[in-house]
Amino acid sequence: MGKLVAYRLLFAVPQLLVISILVFSLTYLVPGSPAAAMLGTSATPEAIAHVEAQLGLDRPPLERFVEWFGALLTGDLGTSFRAGMPVTDLLAQRLPATLSVVVGGIVVALVLGVGAGVFTGTRPGTLADRLVTGGTVLGLAIPEFWLGLLLTTVFAVQLGWVPIVAWTPLTADPLAWLRGLVLPSLALGVTGGAIIARQTRAAMVTSMSAPYADTLTAAGVPRRTQIARYGVKNALVPVLASTGVTFAILIGVSFVVEKVFALPGLGSLMLTSVIGQDFPVVQGVVLVTATLVIVVNLVIDICYGLINPQARPQ
Amino acid sequence: MSMFTPKSTSRPGPTFLVRGLATAALLTLGLTACTSGGAAEDPGASPAANGGSGPVPGSVLRVNWGGFPESWAPGAEMEAGFLRIPYENLVALGADGEIEPVLATEWEQTDDALTLTLRDDVTFHDGTPFDAEAVKVNLETVQSTPGPYAGPFQVISSIDVVDDHTVKLNLSEPTPSLLTTLTTRAAPMASPKAIEAGTIAQVPLGTGPWAYDEAASVPGTRLVFGPAEDYWGDPVGFETVQLVAIPEDNAASAALANDEIDLTDTETNQFTTLDGTPGVDRLSYPAIRNNPIFFDRGPGGMFEDVAVRQAACTAIDTEVLAKLEPDWTVRTQHFSEGEQGYDPDIAGYTHDAAKAQELYDSAGNPPVDADMLATVFNENQMKIYAEQMGEIGMKVTVQSAPPPQYFSEWNSGKYPLGLGGNDELTPFDWYKAWFSADAPGNPSGVESDELKAAADAAIAAGTGDEADALWAKVTKIISDEALTCAHVAGEELLAWNTTTVTDVEAPTQPWETNLVNYRALRPAS
Repeated sequence: MGKLVAYRLLFAVPQLLVISILVFSLTYLVPGSPAAAMLGTSATPEAIAHVEAQLGLDRPPLERFVEWFGALLTGDLGTSFRAGMPVTDLLAQRLPATLSVVVGGIVVALVLGVGAGVFTGTRPGTLADRLVTGGTVLGLAIPEFWLGLLLTTVFAVQLGWVPIVAWTPLTADPLAWLRGLVLPSLALGVTGGAIIARQTRAAMVTSMSAPYADTLTAAGVPRRTQIARYGVKNALVPVLASTGVTFAILIGVSFVVEKVFALPGLGSLMLTSVIGQDFPVVQGVVLVTATLVIVVNLVIDICYGLINPQARPQ
Repeated sequence: MSMFTPKSTSRPGPTFLVRGLATAALLTLGLTACTSGGAAEDPGASPAANGGSGPVPGSVLRVNWGGFPESWAPGAEMEAGFLRIPYENLVALGADGEIEPVLATEWEQTDDALTLTLRDDVTFHDGTPFDAEAVKVNLETVQSTPGPYAGPFQVISSIDVVDDHTVKLNLSEPTPSLLTTLTTRAAPMASPKAIEAGTIAQVPLGTGPWAYDEAASVPGTRLVFGPAEDYWGDPVGFETVQLVAIPEDNAASAALANDEIDLTDTETNQFTTLDGTPGVDRLSYPAIRNNPIFFDRGPGGMFEDVAVRQAACTAIDTEVLAKLEPDWTVRTQHFSEGEQGYDPDIAGYTHDAAKAQELYDSAGNPPVDADMLATVFNENQMKIYAEQMGEIGMKVTVQSAPPPQYFSEWNSGKYPLGLGGNDELTPFDWYKAWFSADAPGNPSGVESDELKAAADAAIAAGTGDEADALWAKVTKIISDEALTCAHVAGEELLAWNTTTVTDVEAPTQPWETNLVNYRALRPAS
């Protein structure tokens, strides 16, 4: 098992290196000049050149990359062109909201997805299966943005159960934090839940129709025990893989959901930074989200190895 | 006559499609009409009106401008709706367009310098005295900060602190618009101590009636501004102002209906929802000016011939845009009546296809095959204009680009024709930005002798009635030469909860988005 962890950690290093190179290079592919974007429409070429020099944008790309990467190794992501503050501080302000809603979304997705998948996978072809599977199609089809607005209208405006502007940091008030996360997590988690439900259903059908299930039945093992102790465990392997993908999807979608629920997350920071060509912030956001995805997939791979010995490196 | 008929509304783009879908869905479900009616639960949000005698104790104004500033430092780009809470300027523009005293009580402008006398009873929110040294630190900060506001202050060659309450701005060239620039977002006065400490970006410390309450604020969610101690100016209606950031318009409308906010900016696609919500009212005011500009007007350029430009201007029908996008209004010239530069004799270019064709024919129909750079929020407008110019045989191709590329390149000279915001407040600034031979927005570098002579005379006249008349002549020449045309103004739309706030007025500072006249607001009874 230690080998698996070491192997995956080692593999994460080149992944991060490649991502950092890509992230840095992307800033050169974006047309336009950050200085021109900052100075506005009536800037003179001289003023643009002056600001580019101030920001170090006139230096050779390799020199800038070496400096950026060196700073990155010390945890320094640079200074925002527009806010004038360290990118790490900006990310520290925004990451909690994004992480909260993504974790909330994945919890909702797992609860809904595994629940619905096990329910339908153990009774394939029945009316209940068709109804719930049809529901997952609906879950996949509903845009998170629209669902968020719908939830807001019903639960905040009509029923008044939760406020629309509901974000509270965990450190300030854990209960208020939880309350504020309910609707965004639901909006975010439904699609992920539908993906996981379909994966789980297929895995459960395969798992419960395998020869060992007949053996267990012949041995007199009750059906509930078969499902809980054997079926779900075997079905979890593909479900885990889809959870990693779902997590990555939810990070992207959270950028949209946070807009509906006025969450101070990475999405709005990314949007303003892209429009303003605030490259250090764009690089920081992409790097952090990529690292998150890598870390989550690392954890999932380790869990995968724990469940399935064949997945461990020999 | 074929006519391009875009389906989207005022802010085209993917987000708009999503908004439209969401709005349609809400309407279909019949949910939007079922709102709370604005029953105020927050006792602080609905105190009795005070009749303007001072802030009502406990009164809270909750405002949504859809976001927060990235930085509160002077020189950083910041919407006026944020800036006007903690900060004040040296001077302000009054409702009649005249410069009024704020932190400066008197001023004297010559070709070489602008000397300002400052109030002696003002302190910043951190207790630092407001004085000439503070003005110097602030203006030098703006001058050296990379951003859209540094440019207009480069004409200040040095700043002299004459005494504690007198500051002299020495000018490298006559700049009659400098005083007007000092009224804008470009020149808020912030605590020099906080500027020097580098904390001003995150903790605004000004001289205004509301001081930032860091302890009560939740960065990124809710910023709280409480009553400033010993505020020097007239009393205001609300004791506290809270800023929230709800970027999505449907959610903001719902928050207004849900009595979670008192005032918000909004969009035309929210009118159905807002008009069906009891206790909600709305207003609009002109906030954004835009117009096409012919960049390739140098020798041999596509738009060198004034008749070609006039033909294009006459082919464009801005009324079509106004019908399709109700938050745009048609204008005949850049400046409004009452503003310097306004000339009642400017008739503009009314759409007349036959006359446009005649003008183009008179110029010999030189080939016009122009690319025009657009982005999500003005692509529809450009396509309308391109279609209309196409009707007289001009080929205009609209190229779509992401906003960063658009902002960098649309007026760089790479494109013969462009469409963009012209936010200059004075004819001097407008002329210097787009039409003088050395203007950054005039990549061809050409200027007619008549225009130059008129502008030189206006600049030499300094300020006053004579200067006003001379600047009106300048704008008339710009119009006659069709250097630009098809002026339209985008409206800023505000909605508010009438059960919690009254006396909502458009800002006196013109051409600002996301702003309300905070000082006029009063808690509703």
